[in-house]
Amino acid sequence: MAVEPAVREPAVAFAGGLGIRLRRFGEISREVLRNPTTLIGLILIVGMIGMAVFAPLLIEPNTPNPNQMPRDWGALNEPPGTPGHVLGTTQQGGDVLYGVIWGARTSLRLSLIVVSLTVVIGLIVGSLAGFLGGRLDELLMRLVDVFLSIPELIFALAIAAVLGPSFGNIILALAAVFWVKYARIIRGQVIHIKQNEYVDAARVIGDSGFRIYMKDVLPNSITPVIVQATLDMGNVVLIGATLSFIGLAEAGLAEWGVLVSQGQAGISAGRWWASTFPGLMVFLWALAFNLVGDGLRDILDPRTESRR
Amino acid sequence: MQIRDYVLRRLMVLPVLIIGTSLIVFTLTRVGGSPIAIYLSHEMTPEEVAEIEERYGLDEPLPVQYLTWAGGMLTGDWGWSGVAAAPVRQVFPNKLGATLELAVAAGIVAVAMGIGLGTYGGSRRDRLPDHLTRVFSISGAAMPIFWFGILLLIVFWVGLGWAPIGRSNADVFSSITHPTGLYIIDALLAGNWTALVDAIWHLLLPAVTLGFGTTALIARMMRSSLVETLSEEYVDAARAKGLPEKLVLRRHARRNALIPTVTVIGLSFGFLLQGTVVVEIIFRWPGLGRWMADAVLRGDQATIMAYVMFTSVLFLLVNLAVDVMYAYLDRRVVLGS
Amino acid sequence: MAHAPEPAGQTHAADAVASVVGLKVHFESRAGRVHAVDGVNFDIRDGETLGLVGETGCGKTVTARSFLRLVPMPPGIHAGGSLYFHPHQRCSHCLGAGCAVCEGTGRLPVTCSACGGEGCRACGETGVKTIDLSTLPEKELRDIRGNRIAMIFQDPAKALNPAMTVRNQIAEVFYQHRTQEVLERARLGTRPNPLLRRHAAQRSRLIERALLALPPLRMQRKRVERVIDDMVASALAETQIPNPSKVMERYPHELSGGMKQRVMIAQALACNPDLLIADEPTTALDVTVQARIIELIKELQSRHKSAVLYISHDLSLVRRICNRVAVMYAGRIVEIGLTEEIFANPLHPYTRGLLAAIPGRSHDRGQLVAIKGTVLELIDPPPSCRFVERCSYAVAVCAEVDPELEDTHDGHGVACFIHNPPDMAVELPSFSKLTS
Repeated sequence: MAVEPAVREPAVAFAGGLGIRLRRFGEISREVLRNPTTLIGLILIVGMIGMAVFAPLLIEPNTPNPNQMPRDWGALNEPPGTPGHVLGTTQQGGDVLYGVIWGARTSLRLSLIVVSLTVVIGLIVGSLAGFLGGRLDELLMRLVDVFLSIPELIFALAIAAVLGPSFGNIILALAAVFWVKYARIIRGQVIHIKQNEYVDAARVIGDSGFRIYMKDVLPNSITPVIVQATLDMGNVVLIGATLSFIGLAEAGLAEWGVLVSQGQAGISAGRWWASTFPGLMVFLWALAFNLVGDGLRDILDPRTESRR
Repeated sequence: MQIRDYVLRRLMVLPVLIIGTSLIVFTLTRVGGSPIAIYLSHEMTPEEVAEIEERYGLDEPLPVQYLTWAGGMLTGDWGWSGVAAAPVRQVFPNKLGATLELAVAAGIVAVAMGIGLGTYGGSRRDRLPDHLTRVFSISGAAMPIFWFGILLLIVFWVGLGWAPIGRSNADVFSSITHPTGLYIIDALLAGNWTALVDAIWHLLLPAVTLGFGTTALIARMMRSSLVETLSEEYVDAARAKGLPEKLVLRRHARRNALIPTVTVIGLSFGFLLQGTVVVEIIFRWPGLGRWMADAVLRGDQATIMAYVMFTSVLFLLVNLAVDVMYAYLDRRVVLGS
Repeated sequence: MAHAPEPAGQTHAADAVASVVGLKVHFESRAGRVHAVDGVNFDIRDGETLGLVGETGCGKTVTARSFLRLVPMPPGIHAGGSLYFHPHQRCSHCLGAGCAVCEGTGRLPVTCSACGGEGCRACGETGVKTIDLSTLPEKELRDIRGNRIAMIFQDPAKALNPAMTVRNQIAEVFYQHRTQEVLERARLGTRPNPLLRRHAAQRSRLIERALLALPPLRMQRKRVERVIDDMVASALAETQIPNPSKVMERYPHELSGGMKQRVMIAQALACNPDLLIADEPTTALDVTVQARIIELIKELQSRHKSAVLYISHDLSLVRRICNRVAVMYAGRIVEIGLTEEIFANPLHPYTRGLLAAIPGRSHDRGQLVAIKGTVLELIDPPPSCRFVERCSYAVAVCAEVDPELEDTHDGHGVACFIHNPPDMAVELPSFSKLTS
C-alpha cells in the first residue's frame, strides 16, 4: 500500500499589511462589478460626480456667484420643454437644469467635506479610546452615547438653527452629528484587534506599538469604515437637503433642497417641475451610494448571507 | 433574574444620558445667543425683563444657570415660545396629540406592510417577488421624505383631487369634543361618522409619506432575517419531525426571523420622529414637527430646547424598551455585555 | 442480530426496513452538475445498525437526507433511483417476545395491502408493504417523518430551535403523530370539543387559540398539556437525562452539548420509529461525551428494536456499534459487509487506506499515514473508477471503466476490479504491487 508521510505545513498566514489588501482591492472590484444593483449604483455615481465636476462645461456658470441660481425675469415659471430651459424654470426665473447640475456640485462638496471631516475625527477619537482605554475610553464613549441618543436630523437641525442659517453651518452641523459613528466603529475594531492573537505575534517579533497600529490595526479597521463612508456620502446629502428644505440654507442657492422648497409654492397651481427634478436628484444620489455601500458591505463583511 | 438585572442596569444609565443631553442642549443655546431669550416675549416691559433676569439668575455663573433651567424643565416651566406666542408648556399637549396620531398611524402602516412584504419576499428567495421587495426596500431607504411627500401631493392632491391638506376640515373638527387629542379616537368616542372619515381622509397621505421609508427598512430586515432563518438546521429538523410546511414556516422560521426585525422596528421609531418635521411642513399638519421647523427659522429657542429634550428622552426610552424586548425574545442574548 | 449473510448488493431483501435502489441525486451549480450521489444501492435490515462511512463530500449526508426528502430540490435534482421503506410492526404471534415466525426479532414487516402477501407490482414482488419515499405525496410523507423514520442531526446546537423550550419542541412530535392517544389520555370523553381536537393536532388558528384561553375550554386544554408533559418527560427519561421535568422547561442553549444531543435522541425516538437516521451525531461533541452518547444509542436501539443508519467519517466509532458497514466514496458505495469482516479483511483500496490512516499503536511514533491525492471533483465525473487517481493498484482498465458493486462472498460486496474481474480480457490490478 503506497503511503506518504503526511506533511503539514505550519499555517502561517501572516498578512503583510497593506500590500495584500491592495491585491484584495482588485478582487473586490471584480466582485462589485458582478452584482447588477451595485453596478447600477456605480454608474449613477460616476454620472453624478461627472456632472458635478464638469458643471462649468455643461452649463454656463452664473455670475457673479455660480452657486446662486440665475434669474431670468423674462422666463418665469416656464414648463419643461421651453427652448433654453429643458426642465423648466422656477418662480424666480431660475433654470431648473442649472439647479440640477450645479446642485450636484454643491452636494459633492458637502458630502466630501463632511465625510472626510467625520472620518478623521472619528478615527482619532476612536483610536484614542480603543488604545488607551480606561477612564478616557469611558468618558469618550459616554459622550458618543449621548450624541447617539439624539435623533440625527433633529440634532443637526438644532445645531444649524443655533449657528444660523447658512450652507456652511449645515456642513458644520452634519459633521458634528456624524462623527460618532466612525469613532464607535474604529474603537470597536481597535479593541477587537488588540485582543486578537496576531497582534501578540507581531509584538513577539518586535514590532513597536505604532507599527502594529499602522500595519495591522488600521488596514483591518478600514473595511467597515469604507462601507459606512460610502453610505454616508449618500445620507449626508439626504439630510443636508432636508435641512435646506426646511430653510436653513441661503435662499437662491443652487442646491437641491432649496429648490424643492421653493418649488412648493407653485404646486397648487400645477407647476410640478421646480420641485420634482431637484428632488429626483437627491433620491438618485442617495440611492446610488446606498446601492454601492450595500454591495460593498455584502462583499467585505464575512457574515454574508449563506448561499446554499 | 437576568432580565430584571439588565433592565435595572439600563434604567440606571438613563438619567446619565438624559443629563448629558440636557448639557448639550444647554450649551447650544449659550452659543446661540441671549440666555434669557427663552423666557422673554415681545410685550414685556423693561421692568419685567429685569425681573426675569433676576429670577432666572442670569448674572449667576453658568452651572447655576444650568441648574435653574434644568429645574424649570422638571417643574414645567419650559419657557416662552415666540412662534406660538404662549408658554411652551401650554401649547405642547395639543401639538403632541397631532404628531402622535401621525406617527402611530405611520408606524402601524410601516410595521404591517414591512413585515408582510419582507415575509413575502424572503420566502420566495431570488424569485420575482423577492427582487421586487429588494428594489422597494433599497429605494425606500434612499427616498427623501420631502420629495416623496411632494410627489404624492402632486399626484393625489393636485392631479386627482383626492386627499386634502392639513389635519382636518375646521368645521367638522370643532363639531366634536377632543378628550384624547387624537382625532380618530375622539371621533370614535363621539360616534361621529363624518368626523371619523374626515380624520382618516386627512391622515392618509401624510401617514403613507412618513411610513414609506420605515416600511422599506422593516421589509428589508424581515426579508434578510427570514432568508437566514430558513437556512438554519432547526428548520430542516422541524420538517424532519413531520410538521406541515405552514407550521414550520410560521412557528420555526418566521417567529425566529421576527426577533432581529423587532430591533429594527424599535429603531425606526427614531426615523419616524425625525420624519414628522418634514411631513408636517409639507402637509401643513399642526404638530410638534412643524412647530419646531418654525422655531428653527425664527430663533425660538425655548421651543427648540424643549423639542430636542422631549424627542431625545422619548428616543432613549423606546430604545430601552426595544432592547429589553429583544433580550426577552432571544434567550441566547448575553444580557448587557 | 445474527442473520444468514445475504448477497451484499441485493435490495428488497426479505426483512429490509429500507432499500436504496440506484439512488442518484445531483446538484445544479454555477460550475456544472455535481453528481453528489451517483448510483447507490444498499438495504437496511430490520433491527440492524448500518454504518455509512466516508470522508466529507462523499455523499453520505445527501443520501441520509434523501430518506426524508430533506434535500432542497432546486438546486438538488432527483436524477434517478428510488428509496423504499417497509414499515414493520410487532409480531402478532409472540407479541414481540421472539418466535420462529419472526425469527426471534419480535417484529414482522407489514403485509402489502394490495396483494395480501402474495407478491405484486406495488410491493416489488416481495409481498410486504412497500412505500416509495421518493414519490410519496407530501401529506403521507409527513406521517412518516418523525414517526416511522426519524433523524438526529450533527450539531444539536443548530438543530434545536433556540427560541423554544425543550418541552415544546418534543411536544410537537406528539401533537403531530399521537393526537388520538393524547386526547384519550386526557380523558376528554368520546366526542371532545372540535377546538380541542384541532389544538391537539396543533392546527389551531389564532382566534381558536384565544378562545382556548377562556375558562370552559381552558381546563380541558390544561389537561391535554399535562398529558403532553408526561409524555415528554418519559421520552426524556429514557435517554437518561436527570431531572426531566426541570430540563423540559429549559431552552437549548442552557444545556450542555451532550444533553442537547440526548434531547434530540429523545425527540427522534418519541414515536418509536422503525428507522433512525443518525447523521454524525457525535461529531460536535467532546470525546468523553461521545462514548456515552454512542452507548446510549446502542442501548435505545436494542430496546426499541429500530434499525439505525449511522453516518460517520470516523471508522473507529462505527466499529463500536454497527453490525454492517458501507463505505462510500465520491457518490457511490465501494464496499459493504459485516463490520468485523470489513475490519479484518478490507477489500477495496480506499477502505484499506482509511483503516491504515486510523492512528493506532501499530504506527511508529511521529508518522501519520494519509491517502495521497484529494477527492475527485464530482462535476461530470469521468467514466473511470473514481478512485483511480489515488489508487496504488490501478491498471489500465481502472482508468476506463467504473467497477460495479458486486458480491465476493458471504455478503461482503466490493466495487473493485481486484476482486471482481470484468468480463473482458484485461490486465487485472493486484495487491502485490506494493510501493513503500
